[in-house]
Amino acid sequence: MPASSASSAHRPEDLISRLSSAAAEDGGKLKALRELKNQIIGNRTKKLSYIKLGAVPSVVSILSSAAAEDDASSASLLVQSAAAVGSFACGLDAGVKAVLDAGAFPHLLSLISHPNNKVVDAGARSLKMIYQSKLAPKYDFLEEKNMEFLISLLNNENENVTGLGASIISHSCETNVEQKELSDAGVLKRLISLLGGSLCERDASLESLATVFKGNPEVVSMFLGPESGRALSAVTELTKDRYPRTRLLACMCLITIRNASPCYLQDVEQKTKLILILLELLDDPGQVGDEAAFALSSLIAEKEDLQQLAFEENVADKLCNHLQKGPLQAKRIQGILLALADLCSKLESCRSRLLSLQAIMVATRASSLDLDLTRETSQVLKLVTDALTHDSADVRAAACSCMKSVSRSVKVIIQNLSAGSFMNEVIVIPLVQLLHDTSTSVQVAALGAISNIVVEFSKHKSVFIQCGGVKQLVQLSKSMESAIRLNAVWALRNLMFLSDNRCKEGIFLELTVSTLTSLICDPEPSVQEQALALVRNLVDGCVDSIEYVFLEDGLILHAIGRQVQSALKAEVLVQGMYVLSNVASGNEIHKEAVMHQLFPQDGSTTEPIMIKHLQSKNSQLRTASAWALVNLTFPSNPGASSRVAKLWNAGVTSQLKNMVNDPCLDVKLRVKTALGQFMTFGDGST
Amino acid sequence: MATSKKLITREEWEKKLNDVKIRKEDMNRLVMNFLVTEGYVDAAEKFRMESGTEPDIDLATITDRMAVKKAVQSGNVEDAIEKVNDLNPEILDTNPQLFFHLQQQRLIELIRKGKVEEALEFAQEELAPRGEENQSFLEELERTVALLAFEDVSNCPVGELLDIAQRLKTASEVNAAILTSQSHEKGEKEHLACDNRLQPADPKLPSLLKMLIWAQNQLDEKAAYPRINDLSTATLEDPTV
Repeated sequence: MPASSASSAHRPEDLISRLSSAAAEDGGKLKALRELKNQIIGNRTKKLSYIKLGAVPSVVSILSSAAAEDDASSASLLVQSAAAVGSFACGLDAGVKAVLDAGAFPHLLSLISHPNNKVVDAGARSLKMIYQSKLAPKYDFLEEKNMEFLISLLNNENENVTGLGASIISHSCETNVEQKELSDAGVLKRLISLLGGSLCERDASLESLATVFKGNPEVVSMFLGPESGRALSAVTELTKDRYPRTRLLACMCLITIRNASPCYLQDVEQKTKLILILLELLDDPGQVGDEAAFALSSLIAEKEDLQQLAFEENVADKLCNHLQKGPLQAKRIQGILLALADLCSKLESCRSRLLSLQAIMVATRASSLDLDLTRETSQVLKLVTDALTHDSADVRAAACSCMKSVSRSVKVIIQNLSAGSFMNEVIVIPLVQLLHDTSTSVQVAALGAISNIVVEFSKHKSVFIQCGGVKQLVQLSKSMESAIRLNAVWALRNLMFLSDNRCKEGIFLELTVSTLTSLICDPEPSVQEQALALVRNLVDGCVDSIEYVFLEDGLILHAIGRQVQSALKAEVLVQGMYVLSNVASGNEIHKEAVMHQLFPQDGSTTEPIMIKHLQSKNSQLRTASAWALVNLTFPSNPGASSRVAKLWNAGVTSQLKNMVNDPCLDVKLRVKTALGQFMTFGDGST
Repeated sequence: MATSKKLITREEWEKKLNDVKIRKEDMNRLVMNFLVTEGYVDAAEKFRMESGTEPDIDLATITDRMAVKKAVQSGNVEDAIEKVNDLNPEILDTNPQLFFHLQQQRLIELIRKGKVEEALEFAQEELAPRGEENQSFLEELERTVALLAFEDVSNCPVGELLDIAQRLKTASEVNAAILTSQSHEKGEKEHLACDNRLQPADPKLPSLLKMLIWAQNQLDEKAAYPRINDLSTATLEDPTV
């Protein structure tokens, strides 16, 4: 038996020294190379350990010196060293890095024009492996020479070389400009013709086509143009191919087309077929099955019609069956959870189906109450909850997304009301723990789920506050990462929604005036918007809560005023105006303070901001502004008449008169009310 | 109930059969598919010259593929792995399941030869890391290592792993993977296969025969007709009423 594993503990170092020894003849080197290649192919652990031992530079140096020679023995050395390099790069970013660092790239590239076909094969395969990694150097399509080279690869007779060309596109084509450039250069046409080629060419072409289409309706319409109905049906035909990978890639290509140009693939029968094919592909135990779940998720994401179809095809049940099969690879669980999250994101029917699947009795130990609770809950919910503590960050984040979608359900809310604290104990606590997660994406996803869960019920809120959730949210609202800040403030905003006074006070004390002020002035408009919405919820309700914005010399109110005067984003302005409107519903001092923010007496002659907002194209901003005016001019208030006079002088009254036929009904109603109040003080001209 | 069955006479049946037109080229492709998949290089070459039917793949590659298959069938798994890697290093690098099954087969062969220590070391070094990467591999590995726990392996719950059938299973999996990697068949529709998810390594002919048997069984319930009982001669037997 050659190369028994018995003595392998000592061999890696020997093998490397045989590779790098100058004395070794080509024959010895060839043997050592082949041995190395056979050890590492398919074996991640060995790849890593050989990389650590520094094998890659030795292999690359053989590759480079053999590339300089031109005889039969150099061809075998090239084939073996290129294969070893390719295997190091296959499926392992550390390997790709080692290979690139050792300078293998240009040598491999030179093999493409080698006279020996086997050498060309080996070189093209290795480059393909490298291009499957994110670490591969970006190919610049906009450079004319590069585009010519790419076309020459795609037109090559060797299918490994064509495959390489397609891989380069899949790896490097990112922007709409690049997509357009590629299709203008005739790449689209060539890729379409490859759809009729060999298995490997078909798959490579489908993948590249999807890359060139992604988010680019212009290129998609070129593909679907006058003579290309045939191309679309060729792709559609491949969704029925006998190779699962081809079926998957064809589905993904169609999904990309549909996502880029929603007007295509409207046919219900075809949409249903896509769903069914993907469901069937889920049964594949390998990578194809893993990716099928992700494809399903991108097919139904944000599309209610497709979610409805998926619901009718029992996708919820089928995904759950898969989830229960366990043990599953992390990738598989992640994909299924994401698909479930998308499925349940809009339709209550999907959520309630999911929650009613196999209701079982789950015994849980409620740690904070120190007693055992037995609650009826859905098996699925249990699986999703388990996934919240999975080893893989991707799975944890996906479980949070799923939790977020499911917790929109009326059924969850009703169950929660009747069945007590299951949700609180089993879901809220792990979610709060995820706020401390080391992965940013998990933190953001957990924040999203928490935002949803805390919005409705005081019971959730109190458990959430008890287990330190607010402290953590406030901490995260100071994060350097804007996505985390945004979601933390969002969650705080929802937590504040319809809270009782004690709850509000608790949150406010934790948050402090200065933090809230700096969040209102955050560099990110989306954070400003959420911070203002948070204040809007804070001052909503009883008059006393309005006082919060007047603390510390009205720091918060001034910040709000500055945003209302100067923010560029309509969303920010809308929330700002609503806060002012809420404050203006308070007492005389409150109202005067709002007037001061809206009409600062700095002697400037520029048009008042109120007029600008009333003229905005955004109907929500017009509504919020009109609301503020209604609150400022409520006739029974003592200061109302002086405010009306001031508003009249500023030109607000005549602006309102222009708006009595506003196309937005909300605006129209508020304007009518406001004008009515103005008129009780005379029409102002006297 | 036999009385309710419809009787179809030989004349009627043959008339119907004659109405079905099957293209000669299709028949030839079926034969070629069988020869190529099963690895009959010489016969395929002769058939190509005589019938003008072009095979889907380069006939020269059949020899290599058959060598790999034979190596697994005769228990030389390591040799088979090296041969596959020479053919195309991507096959085992991108197909973890196949790679695991080959390594598992290697372990089985070591156990068969009674090399206990070597088997344990191999399982630990080569297979255990794969088990860590994939839960279902871990379960299969545990099943395989369990062979070591039994004195009389031929009579133990996991004894089937030592069967020749296990080798054949692994061999056919490798065969399929190589065929897929070499497939040059054009993306045209499969008219012949009833189930388009057949493994590429399955020749189409046997499945057509299976379909024939299934169809006859279905028909038996409804009619008496000239049946084919002997598949090797395909003679029509007169219907018995």
